[in-house]
Amino acid sequence: MFLSAPTKKTFLPSMEAGIALLRDFLPSDSRRLRLRRRPSPAFPRSIRASSSPLGQYRGPQPKRDLVADWVADNDGFVRSLPIYVGGSSLLAVLFNRTVSGIAPVADASSAQSRADLLTLGLAVTNVLAGLVWLSIRPKPISVVEPLGVECRRIRSDLPESVVSELLWVWESLSTVTCCRSLAIIYDGHCIMQIGMAAKSSANDGEAEDVDANKLMQGSLYQGIINSRAQSYLANLSLYPGRSELPFLPFNTQAVILQPLGDKGVAVIGGDTIRGFTTSDQTWITYIGEKLDAALAKYVNDSSILMQERV
Amino acid sequence: MFICHMHWYKTGSSRGHLPWKRTLRKQRGRGKSAIFSLNASIRPHLSPPFRAERNTKRSRISARLGSDSETTSNERQLNLSVLRFTFGISGLDESYLPRWIGYGFGSLLLLNHFVGSDLANITPAQLRTEVLGLSLAAFSIILPYLGKFLPGAGPGNQVTLPEGNEQLFVMSESLSDTLKENLAWATYVLLRNTNTIAVLISIRGELCIRGYWRTPDDVSKGHVLDWFEEQIQKIGLSDLKDTLYFTQSPDFGFRELLPNGTRSLLVQPLLQVSDQEEYEMGRNEGFVVLFSSMSYAYSDKDRAWIKAVANKFTGRKGRNPPDAVEMYF
Repeated sequence: MFLSAPTKKTFLPSMEAGIALLRDFLPSDSRRLRLRRRPSPAFPRSIRASSSPLGQYRGPQPKRDLVADWVADNDGFVRSLPIYVGGSSLLAVLFNRTVSGIAPVADASSAQSRADLLTLGLAVTNVLAGLVWLSIRPKPISVVEPLGVECRRIRSDLPESVVSELLWVWESLSTVTCCRSLAIIYDGHCIMQIGMAAKSSANDGEAEDVDANKLMQGSLYQGIINSRAQSYLANLSLYPGRSELPFLPFNTQAVILQPLGDKGVAVIGGDTIRGFTTSDQTWITYIGEKLDAALAKYVNDSSILMQERV
Repeated sequence: MFICHMHWYKTGSSRGHLPWKRTLRKQRGRGKSAIFSLNASIRPHLSPPFRAERNTKRSRISARLGSDSETTSNERQLNLSVLRFTFGISGLDESYLPRWIGYGFGSLLLLNHFVGSDLANITPAQLRTEVLGLSLAAFSIILPYLGKFLPGAGPGNQVTLPEGNEQLFVMSESLSDTLKENLAWATYVLLRNTNTIAVLISIRGELCIRGYWRTPDDVSKGHVLDWFEEQIQKIGLSDLKDTLYFTQSPDFGFRELLPNGTRSLLVQPLLQVSDQEEYEMGRNEGFVVLFSSMSYAYSDKDRAWIKAVANKFTGRKGRNPPDAVEMYF
């Protein structure tokens, strides 16, 4: 992609040294990008940007944040550091006491004892802080590659604006979240089916069709339309409603069902158990509202057109 | 005159549960800009039902087992059950507890040294302990600062709205209706979903500005857009090609444009991917600037989403050309 090649050509050699470019989430190839998103943070906290060759940008550049980078790189060490510091100070205090010949009695009578007690308190605080840090270490969860076929189906009678909106939704979701399949049902039809889909048993090699009517009669859809709230099935294998989504690859791990107004639903399939974070869920809600607005406008326009024709 | 019928026009940025005195601004559109009147009330019912509060309900002094999936996480790392020490007082950030203990015990140690002990006969043992204690106190004080950078660190701070800013929502009149709608939605979503207090989007020279800004008093309401354009010209944001993320306050350059109390800043240029020559010439198609009152406000995931929202305006038609799409009726 254009990221590295042109910039090298047009840069002054002095600027190239030691500059880290932000690897933008350009949806060039979702699979390639997925490999890049490893558990360890691949992005520095603050990015030193490269100035354009014509030097027009006159604003400030962000400074490199050494502490943040160091902590991010030595994650395990930093987490257990307070425990070691606290534990060794604890031992040091006791050692100091025995070496100086003072009985290790915990009373506040002498200045020495008071100082020791305060130091012990600090050591214990550090140990506890270290334990908390260790316990909040995020757990890596493995990706399960969905088994199926790639498909890319969009209704042919949609106007350009709606199609570009739908494609934008797919690109955003597939780039930023763990979404691998997307199906949008609106107004009784399946408008878009994109990403990985289950292999159909009827046509060999083709993706399974989305039976919109069957889906709309199922309990999942009814539940969502009634509650008008997003439904997050974090571990799809645990839900009996799985059978209502036959068009998704059978090893889809997580599904979000986002209602689009009261006329449709977006089915978003992911490849990791609990792979959609809370912030993903809020973003998907807003995107769902936007999509509903765009599709409702289209349906209104087309129904007006139909009426005019009649 | 653009008619606002979408709800995302009417709501101001209603982050934070602090009561904030805001003025309702009603202006007539004049010249290049049309300023929309804003609803000054906070509308908590608009937030989606599952949106996790920043300060979750806590119980009494106890270690509590609970799920913590709201904190920032990498793509494939999730925060699940977490043992957290908490006092049960809402609004109190316990991750700063080591710092307070460090200050408190450190001052007690000094007090003990000067007041509590016989200054003439201080034993070397006591001095050793005090040195150890003071260095531990110093370490405890910087502990929360280090902990901030660890993934899975404590709950995010509530976004505070600094004083001295006024709510603003301005758009260039010469934008098309669909573009105005998209911009209104995008600014609304960015203000609500990220730790942003002010957002500025520029597409091919047309501006959309929303949030809490600090415009100089001598700039009249009709000329606000001109003032913004002037500032942008001075900084030269139109020629930026790379994303800039200032985790701490940028110290110069942006000063006049910054709302009061800005601590981090993100500039996301909109780049036309297909146009190789335009890219090399150094111009971008537009940019999105986000201002936040917190430092380190935008995590990797936030930045990815911001890039996705910005891609809405780049005019790219998707990865594959339309004729490669398999259509069915």
